[in-house]
Amino acid sequence: RLQDEDSQSLAVPSSQTFHSDKVEMEPDTMETKSLSDYFSKLHMGSVMSSCRSQGQ
Amino acid sequence: RSSHIRYRMEASCLELALEGERLCKVGDYGAGVSFFDAAIQVGTEDLQVLSAIYSQLGNAYFHLHDYAKALEFHRHDLTLTRAIGDKLGEAKASGNLGNTLKVLGRFDEAVVCCQRHLDIASEYQDTVGQARALYNFGNVFHAKGKSMSGSAAEPGEFPEEVMTALGKAAEYYEANLALVKELGDRAAEGRTFGNLGNTHYLLGNFRKAVASHEQRLLVAKEFGDRAAERRAYCNLGNAYIFLGEFEMAAEHYKRALQLARQLKDRAVEAQACYSLGNTYTLLQDYERAIDYHLKHLIIAQDLNDRIGEGRACWSLGNAHTALGNHDQAMHFAEKHLEISKETGDRSGELTARMNVSDLQMVLGLSYSTNNSVLSENKDIDYNLHGARPRIGRRHSMENLELVKLTPDKTNRWS
Repeated sequence: RLQDEDSQSLAVPSSQTFHSDKVEMEPDTMETKSLSDYFSKLHMGSVMSSCRSQGQ
Repeated sequence: RSSHIRYRMEASCLELALEGERLCKVGDYGAGVSFFDAAIQVGTEDLQVLSAIYSQLGNAYFHLHDYAKALEFHRHDLTLTRAIGDKLGEAKASGNLGNTLKVLGRFDEAVVCCQRHLDIASEYQDTVGQARALYNFGNVFHAKGKSMSGSAAEPGEFPEEVMTALGKAAEYYEANLALVKELGDRAAEGRTFGNLGNTHYLLGNFRKAVASHEQRLLVAKEFGDRAAERRAYCNLGNAYIFLGEFEMAAEHYKRALQLARQLKDRAVEAQACYSLGNTYTLLQDYERAIDYHLKHLIIAQDLNDRIGEGRACWSLGNAHTALGNHDQAMHFAEKHLEISKETGDRSGELTARMNVSDLQMVLGLSYSTNNSVLSENKDIDYNLHGARPRIGRRHSMENLELVKLTPDKTNRWS
């Protein structure tokens, strides 16, 4: 009798157990600056300026 | 001759920095930092190069969770970009600084940085930048809300200031979604759906949370991103718990568990087992609950996670009590007591002490032949509202007073 009552009851975990702060967040997105990009742009710039100086 | 030296110096700085960049790209941030440091030691007169180095150093430290250092370098980058009037560079530096301040819990400063990022992006009609700033904004308000929420309240029942911050987060995420949809950036959409889902969950909008996480899941599958897929399944499971749909929750946690095993992430596997244990407890299938809590216990022991181990013991004690296995329950209650003492978990220790003493009483009674004691005791403690013995009811400090078993939580769960 005691056992029946036990098994239909008890041990319901507090909801705290579930959420705590267990939401799983997505990653942060950081802004990136790349040297390779910068230099490929710079290189194009210098090619262009050398073209201009040739034209002059 | 001096120009030759300068040329050699620039070349050397650049080579070192490029190697740092390559190392960070493959995820070796520690080695990347060393190369960037060396590049700075050599020095450069090209301030764009210096800005790129500062920025990448900041990000490398961010990935290494050294946020004080990350803050330092993103600050340097911001100062530099302002000095040279590089607005787009300034926008990026502001965004990174904002993210770093957010992690450090300095939300008001983070908001200023996000706003600067957004303002510059808007000024240059840079939609990609605007979208990214809006996502960061959402993340700052989400983190702010969560930091103020405390541990006692449940989703949807936080103080007003928390709900306000979370509401703002949701607005920024929605604004971001409108832009990234326009841009056709599905990966960004996926991330935003995930965090929007989490925000709705904390706001107590569980149906909306499910809808967002379903979208997140869809995108994760499109990209074959199994880590994101696993996150979505966990978050869906959590939302279904609060909707009272425990079977659905169990299905989602099981998928999360499968993926955690495929990904060989033991900590996440343990978490999934723990969630499944709790879910089967809610379904009153205590044998299965015990099975999953034991799996959780074993991993917690492997990982030397004493707090997780204590939680597993407490759960196992409760489940065994529910089944009337009082000897087993006592074993786990004692273990819970030992661990909570060791970890300095005061409320856990009190809970465990009471469970042990309650169980001692029950075990004493079961050896006793005096049935009148049993029935008298039952009248006092067990007979209210069809059922709930004191044992295991006391999870926390609030439940310390002589429990007269208000069935509030019971109704909620059933």
